[in-house]
Amino acid sequence: MLWTMAVRNLWRNRRRTLLTMSALMVSVALLILSLGIFSGMFAAMLASATQQYHGHMVISVPAYQDRRQLHDSFPYSRQLLDRLRERDEILGAAPRLRGFGLVSRAGRTEAGELLGIDPGREQQVTSLNRMLTAGVFPSSGQGNWVILGRGLAAKLEARPGDELVFFTQAADGSIGNDLLQVTGIFATGDFTRDNSLALVSLDWLQQLLVLPGRIHEIALALRSPMSAAKLVPVISGQLPPELEVYDWGRLLPEMQEVIASYDVSRFILMLILYAAAGLGVLNTFYMSVLERVREFGVLLAIGLKPAAIRNLVLLESLLLGMLSLLAGSGVGVFMTLLLSGRGIDLSRWISSVTYAGGTIPPRLRTELVVDNLLLPGLVLLLVCLLAGYLPARRASRLQPVAALRGD
Amino acid sequence: MKIPPLALTLCWSLLLLMPLPRCYALDLPALIREVETRYQGASSHALVTMEIRTAHWQRSLQLEIWSQGRDRFLARIKAPIKEQGVATLKVDQEVWNYLPKVDRVLKIPPSMMGGAWMGSHLTNDDLVKANRIDRDYTFRLLEEDAQGWLIEALPKPDAPVVWGKLLYRIKRTPLVPVLISYFDEEMVEVRRIHFNRVRQIGERWVPLRMLIEPLEKQEQTLLEYSEIEFDLPLAATLFSVRSLKRH
Repeated sequence: MLWTMAVRNLWRNRRRTLLTMSALMVSVALLILSLGIFSGMFAAMLASATQQYHGHMVISVPAYQDRRQLHDSFPYSRQLLDRLRERDEILGAAPRLRGFGLVSRAGRTEAGELLGIDPGREQQVTSLNRMLTAGVFPSSGQGNWVILGRGLAAKLEARPGDELVFFTQAADGSIGNDLLQVTGIFATGDFTRDNSLALVSLDWLQQLLVLPGRIHEIALALRSPMSAAKLVPVISGQLPPELEVYDWGRLLPEMQEVIASYDVSRFILMLILYAAAGLGVLNTFYMSVLERVREFGVLLAIGLKPAAIRNLVLLESLLLGMLSLLAGSGVGVFMTLLLSGRGIDLSRWISSVTYAGGTIPPRLRTELVVDNLLLPGLVLLLVCLLAGYLPARRASRLQPVAALRGD
Repeated sequence: MKIPPLALTLCWSLLLLMPLPRCYALDLPALIREVETRYQGASSHALVTMEIRTAHWQRSLQLEIWSQGRDRFLARIKAPIKEQGVATLKVDQEVWNYLPKVDRVLKIPPSMMGGAWMGSHLTNDDLVKANRIDRDYTFRLLEEDAQGWLIEALPKPDAPVVWGKLLYRIKRTPLVPVLISYFDEEMVEVRRIHFNRVRQIGERWVPLRMLIEPLEKQEQTLLEYSEIEFDLPLAATLFSVRSLKRH
């Protein structure tokens, strides 16, 4: 009975109800959209750091991640890689060897970081192969090919087909130097990386550095990057004891902090939007209760309990909230999905920003995350109940005689 | 000839009144320059064995070295075979490496001047900055005795240096360096170079053995001169990028 009455009461003053509802709706829709933009930004940032370079998880000798010393290598075991790949959570595993030295071409010499990779396996972990601006990504793990970052290529004035010299100190102390053939140029948007990174064949780098059969890292791509930390102990169990697993949160502590601080900003945004919406609801119901003093008096006089009166008003506000939530979520999800594909290209106005180890691309793109719907919805209903409570209490405390008299 | 006693007394008292010089006025920058150019002369040619010991490997290189004045320096690896012909040329403040395997010359960029020279515990900076020490630092005599001197060198305010302080222990006779200590910007001693096996070559005394000892790790580089000759006629063209390729 209360439900029917609540629906009817809401519908009695259609204009006011619809106005309040639309305010709530816009709040919910905007909140969902902005949270979607936040999520999209962080997903892009994380993806840039992991898919353009680190991978979601890295396996190495413990000392290596801090100092990146040439000697902190370990033997490359294909069986280990295949065993890791068999896991359902792991999408790809790629071996890597890293060497720092001088890259030179025609009188220009620059410091560079050479990453020795197995192109086939690397493609399962990072998306560097899809970021070429010139040339081709090699298919073979052998040969003296090199893929240069765009900035490094520009500094060396190198183009596909050009020859480079790499010069470094090998693991046995000898002077390592050899020729490389530029086959491609990549651009990630991260300037430090584009300015110093060069990809070469793992075999070639192993020979040059006199580290035959050895690697510095195994990079992993995960099905669900956000749960990387939970997977660390599981993977650790599968490894020889001298190796350690680093999830992206440990490789990029700043990014983890940024994402944690996002929870705070999300809360603040919600607080602001809902404070305004909640006051609107409060106002609507005070008005509605004051208008219906005589009516409540009649209800009390014919025997309705004050608690029932209170519940009636609360139910009305809850119903208003639920309807607004439904409509608002619908609009919010629709807008989020609209921007979730390619998004809006902003590169005409802004360039990419590198921050906390990741790169935010100049693109307004959203990501639909269930968390972004549940929390705003729950809080909205709470706000409605809270805003409805004061008017409801007032209505339930009316004295039937006084109310009927209309004082 | 009879000297009047009054004049004699006067002379004596004058002599006594004159402040006795401690030996001679010490020109510290000149002294440091003298020490730093022990191995150079107007020109030089030397055969050197460089033994490098690190935590991970140990190796020995045979080098042939030429120099002209303080600003030109050429070193070429004679052995081992794998690196034979690898050469370093320094002219003024610039350093080039020649790599025979790929037949290319690489100029070391400024950002990499702190890198190891031929895998040793000397850096490219050591090659180019050594000839500026008497200009880039101010010197102070800390100790002096019959054996020699202890001199502190602090960088001049705007000098492009890599060290925070140098300490020179110099022997008086023959005039050779004994020990140079290198301090970083936090004034922590980070490297020592010991000089010994002092021999006379022509008119100069030269320590034929130089031990470079980084203090933060158990590593070292030992330079041992097996032959060294000075002031020979060397063509200026020897110290050119073009001749670097000729071998």
